[in-house]
Amino acid sequence: MGIDITIKIGGEAGQGIQTVGHLLALVCQDAGLYIMAINDFESRIRGGHSFFQIRICNKPVQAPHHKIHLLVALNQETYDLHREELDSDGLAVMDKKEKPAEENILMVPFGDLAMEAGGKLFSNTVAAGACCALLGTPFELCKTVLSQQFGGKGPDVLEKNFRAAELGYQAVKDVSFKWAFEWEPDTPKGSLIDGSKAIALGALAGDCRLAAFYPMSPATGIMAHLASFSDRFPLVVEQAEDEIAAVNMIIGAAFAGVRAMTSTSGGGFCLMTEGLGLAGITETPIVIVNAQRPGPATGLPTRTAQGDLLFVIRASQDEFPRFVFAPGTPDEAFKITARAFHLSEKYQVPSIILMDQYLADSIFIMEKQLTAPEYVERHIVQDDGIENPAEYKRFVITPTGVSPRALPCAGKALVVISSDEHREDGHISEAIDDRISMVDKRNAKVPYMIKEMNPPKEYHGESETLLVGWGSTEGAIKEAVDRLRAEGIDVGCLNFVDLWPFPHDNAKTALNKGKRFFMVEQNSTAQLGLLIKERIGFSFSEAILKYDGRPYYPNEIVESFKQYAR
Amino acid sequence: MTADLITQTKLLKASNNMRGDDMVSIKDYESSYKNHWCPGCGNFGILTAMKDAFVNLGIPPEQLLIISGIGQAAKTPHFLKCNMFHALHGRALPLATGAKMANHDLKILVNSGDGDCYGEGGNHFMHAIRRNVDLSLLVHNNKTYGLTKGQASPTSDFGMVTPLQPHGVISEPFNGLAVALSLGAGFVARGFSGNMEHLSRLIQEGMKHKGFSLIDIMQPCVSFNRVNTYDWYKKRVYDLFEENYDPDDFENAMNLARQWGEKIPIGIIYQKEKPTFIDRIEIFNQGPLISQKYDPGRLQALLSGA
Repeated sequence: MGIDITIKIGGEAGQGIQTVGHLLALVCQDAGLYIMAINDFESRIRGGHSFFQIRICNKPVQAPHHKIHLLVALNQETYDLHREELDSDGLAVMDKKEKPAEENILMVPFGDLAMEAGGKLFSNTVAAGACCALLGTPFELCKTVLSQQFGGKGPDVLEKNFRAAELGYQAVKDVSFKWAFEWEPDTPKGSLIDGSKAIALGALAGDCRLAAFYPMSPATGIMAHLASFSDRFPLVVEQAEDEIAAVNMIIGAAFAGVRAMTSTSGGGFCLMTEGLGLAGITETPIVIVNAQRPGPATGLPTRTAQGDLLFVIRASQDEFPRFVFAPGTPDEAFKITARAFHLSEKYQVPSIILMDQYLADSIFIMEKQLTAPEYVERHIVQDDGIENPAEYKRFVITPTGVSPRALPCAGKALVVISSDEHREDGHISEAIDDRISMVDKRNAKVPYMIKEMNPPKEYHGESETLLVGWGSTEGAIKEAVDRLRAEGIDVGCLNFVDLWPFPHDNAKTALNKGKRFFMVEQNSTAQLGLLIKERIGFSFSEAILKYDGRPYYPNEIVESFKQYAR
Repeated sequence: MTADLITQTKLLKASNNMRGDDMVSIKDYESSYKNHWCPGCGNFGILTAMKDAFVNLGIPPEQLLIISGIGQAAKTPHFLKCNMFHALHGRALPLATGAKMANHDLKILVNSGDGDCYGEGGNHFMHAIRRNVDLSLLVHNNKTYGLTKGQASPTSDFGMVTPLQPHGVISEPFNGLAVALSLGAGFVARGFSGNMEHLSRLIQEGMKHKGFSLIDIMQPCVSFNRVNTYDWYKKRVYDLFEENYDPDDFENAMNLARQWGEKIPIGIIYQKEKPTFIDRIEIFNQGPLISQKYDPGRLQALLSGA
């Protein structure tokens, strides 16, 4: 029998909702189950409404579910806001001090039990214990996880958490919950990871040595992870005074010879656009992660979107090549980040990784074991690799457009770089010939860069009807395809990861197999659809778009598809 | 003008004599790239003083990195031999900070102007001081925008009339020295492009200083600033070295930084060493980031535990 249960824990910011969620995620991981969890919160530190929604399955899962089987309401508002999402056999659990409204509510005195365990602070652990009891989790498993989580905080804290979980567990263990299941001992299927951590690990695999940033949701998590690794690796994480400083710092670091990155969201990326152009004309390899959120301007700071695609592929003063990637899953985010560093350096161009709040903040079980590259290939020359170091020209014209890159103060070769248009030796030039040859040189890289680009990922790509998306929506789209196919509807999907330079031939091959295309994107104009039309002439039939700042639920795609396809 | 050219020649000879033919000479710094400045520009004096300072410090061109922003001052590194990154308007300091983090053995000098550093790059200026990055910042302060042809700059005197400020500048001038002092800068100096020997000494002291050093250089703009001319400055400047001024008192320094008008001090106004940005980060004890090894084993251990 398949297990597919969704639990939503909601309350005010500051009530420890994420702690409950993480405990449940760890319990499930330990038991060899699959989970995926979304984090929904407002741009505030206290109060408001936030929730953690975890989906528990016995097979791999990459998207959230729209129906809730267990709603843990740490306040009345949570119940009022989400009661409609409860499955017909679902159950809400609330503190007894809140007013009961419906029959499917189980009153558990979280607050009182927490006081009994040692203080109000432990309410969330009481709730976690109650959830485990309802699901039929053996209490020993809860204890194991609590030890992992709180073992380092001293015996007193751990003991109180044990007590709190046990009180919550005992309070509801005799309640019959329709979605309870048999917990068979199994080994973990993979590690718990969010997109932010995957990118941070990918940066280490790309041998990133400097990460400079200005805090901005939802991109800051990447830097928090990198900061936590920085004592163990040759890595410095520096909080800059603004995004402009951040991007210029990493350009300076890359110029001086280390791999460097920054992360931001749309508004910060706007400030970095000046620096992006500097990396462009000076052919300096840098990596920028844009964790997208809805805009324009401040928009919805803690929510998700895919609205920056057309912006980042063109953001610049004038024209210059760059790479743009949008990973669909955490393990892909890891691989792409390392690859972005490599390709940036190989072609001496900036790379941009488009992520979003959904991928950054959601937690997945990642089955693949991440591997560290054996060595890091650097595309740098030293005096012994230069024919005449005293005459070294940083921007010498070559057939591929890529000039041998020496580092400053590394030998006799002087490295001369200017943000002005320049000659081969790097000095300013306004001569017509120099201008044309430098533009052509930079553009000469593009055909080689395109050869590095992978085709869109196909899933039932032989179908005549294809859902087409990019980046983090992959999981939701694939699940929608599975559901539609289960209903006998022949549909497949394409997911673009390597976006720019646009992989013309690969995209054509994949799209040629289909007849009708449904764009699935988290923006209001189907930006990838417009790009495909512009680059290779394929038109989409319909666009299933979502721009409310919330992640896709597969059923939304299924329902919209059926409506359009009718 | 003639007097300045004579000083310039004297200084060049002096530097060459001092070094003879061993190690570095002024010639090593000669660039074949054609200069872009107006004849008589204060930048020439700064360029000469820079070369003299490098020679006296024994830094060959291949060991020197000059980073600059945008403006007439920021073009300086094109006019001598060195490693250089002529970057964006206002952004030289964060770029230099990044380069220093990547390889803290780099000897970095930044050429910037009053508009570049105190206007467009004002925020970066403040934060570079807070970080105490070990580099020397020369602010070529001609109190006007030269490259864009004579608009007021952040340091233009109150009331200065320009084609774009026809009723005169209505904002107070930005005092880079006082701002730097208030932020805890460990080396704050003022030079004058018309006194190259003095300026060379300041640059040498600044480059020897461990930490961030600011040298604000009063520089006439012969094309666009009709007020603050060579003669205007020469009547007013007095040399703190000659006064045997001791630059370790913060209150005195603040007073001197704010002294303007009839008498203007030139020299080291304040100096105090403290741990630099690099000293404050432990990982740098293991050598420059660029020289540290990628360790797949250590990374794999982290990945396997993830």
